[in-house]
Amino acid sequence: MIPAPIQLSVRNVRKSFHGKAGEVRVLDDLSFDINARDFVSIIGPSGCGKTTIFNIIAGLIEPDAGSMHYLGQEIESLRGRVGYMMQKDLLFPWRTVLGNVLLGLETRGVDRIEAEGKAREYLKAFGLGGFENAYPKMLSGGMRQRVALIRTLIMDPDILLLDEPFSALDYQTRLYLEGVLKEAVETYHKTVILVTHDIDEAVALSKRVVVLSGRPARAKIVHDIDIAAASPIAARSDSRFSGYFHALCAELDIQTEKTT
Amino acid sequence: MTLSLPGADRLPKRKARAPKRPALDTAAGRSLLQALAVIAFFALWETGVRAGWISAFLVGSPLGIFAVAWKMITGGELLADTWFTLFEAILGFVIGTIIGSLLGLALWYSVFVARLVEPFIVAINSVPKIALAPIVVLWFGTGLISKVALSVSLTAIVALIAAYQAAKDADVDLQSLLISMGASKHQVFFKAVVPSTLPAIIATFRINIGFGLVGAVVGEFISSQRGLGHLIYTASSLYDLDTVWAGLFTLMIMGFALYYVIDLIERTSLPWKQASTTHQVQV
Ligand SMILES: Nc1ncnc2c1ncn2[C@@H]1O[C@H](COP(=O)(O)OP(=O)(O)OP(=O)(O)O)[C@@H](O)[C@H]1O
Ligand SMILES: [Mg+2]
Repeated sequence: MIPAPIQLSVRNVRKSFHGKAGEVRVLDDLSFDINARDFVSIIGPSGCGKTTIFNIIAGLIEPDAGSMHYLGQEIESLRGRVGYMMQKDLLFPWRTVLGNVLLGLETRGVDRIEAEGKAREYLKAFGLGGFENAYPKMLSGGMRQRVALIRTLIMDPDILLLDEPFSALDYQTRLYLEGVLKEAVETYHKTVILVTHDIDEAVALSKRVVVLSGRPARAKIVHDIDIAAASPIAARSDSRFSGYFHALCAELDIQTEKTT
Repeated sequence: MTLSLPGADRLPKRKARAPKRPALDTAAGRSLLQALAVIAFFALWETGVRAGWISAFLVGSPLGIFAVAWKMITGGELLADTWFTLFEAILGFVIGTIIGSLLGLALWYSVFVARLVEPFIVAINSVPKIALAPIVVLWFGTGLISKVALSVSLTAIVALIAAYQAAKDADVDLQSLLISMGASKHQVFFKAVVPSTLPAIIATFRINIGFGLVGAVVGEFISSQRGLGHLIYTASSLYDLDTVWAGLFTLMIMGFALYYVIDLIERTSLPWKQASTTHQVQV
């Protein structure tokens, strides 16, 4: 097997926040690589700095030190080129479903008619045809999250940053959306970094899982997940699934013992 | 030991499904009660005057008011005065709200400028603007412009503060999302900040339409040849209480009508807000 080229490389990134209680070191010398068409999950204790990593990659905050390389070239950040799905669905309440999906294309100045055609196509493909003119308020949590996913995918980003996208949903909807995500990522050939608290979800979806230590976050260990299942549900019945699951649980347990 | 559970008598009793409502608690029923209350009030007033309990000279009388109003309506003066005051109030309201909102929103662009001018805004806001009336008349004359200027001075500051506060409170995450998409500052402003301030700006309409009227009427008190404020002021200096009341009731009707227009604007201008406000929690 030819190793995939490294798409994004994060090197020695440091970040601290200055709060009332003094300096909080969130990221301390964090490094990791993301290969092209990778599906990497990041798991780690709550508050260890996962969202902070995403904010740095997306160019929302600046790291104190360290560098990032994209396909070998040093970059400031991936602002404008990532599809960032934050912990909340963040649909714009005053925009309809269609308007929300169009947001990224509008900021890019894509021709309105072309953009609308594309948006309607995506909505139909994700089973939201007919909801174009609905406001987010009228949608269920799962539908809102699907709209947010479409809004992210339609911009054709280089890398998807998904920050616990399904954590607020019930188990059935989550399973369903995991399938939708997996299929979309394969159809559109996307690279994905997924932050999740759900070990089960990480194993079922990813090619690799990065385990972070507690604050300050370091990449403790990277597990390759070698399950070639057709869907996240099928992955859960793979014979190696529970092996990975328990290995990751153990990894996290050891850390919770250390940090408490 | 036996397991002790809270007695069923400690739990809320099951209620009948539909909460009992008074028989008159319908749209027609409420209107009927409201109309009765108004009629009773005027009947009592008229009776009091007739019986000599209250002085017609000091408080006027409903029939006298009606007679005066009818004469002014048929003569056309009342309508002319009403239009004039209404025009001043609406013009002041519209100009003041637009100027104030635009300035308030513009402050979002520079935190530095915003912090710099904040104390001045507070200072201006704490001046009772009505006290400016004499100067405004001095500067802008006794015609339409001075009343509009007074209304603007009252309404603009309210809109400015509301718009600025709402812009500061605009959801940071929505702005971050746009920035991650590569949006420019202008795009963040127009796509995230402005729309999220609209509910707050529209909410000021209700207060500001009242301030618009206050500006117009006070301006007319100070000096004017026309308008309801002028009518009321001159009549009261002649102890013509019936005319004063006729003017006041006209103002009240005008305020009432404006309130409903604003209410309609509020309800139709933000369709995305509507979906949630149709339900009211039953307590
Ligand atoms: N803007 C900020 N100012 C000060 N402290 C911050 C800021 N943002 C994050 N932090 C702190 O940095 C730490 C890491 O935050 P972050 O949101 O990255 O955690 P996380 O791993 O995403 O947690 P979770 O799994 O709960 O989402 C937290 O302790 C948080 O309090
Ligand atoms: Mg987080």
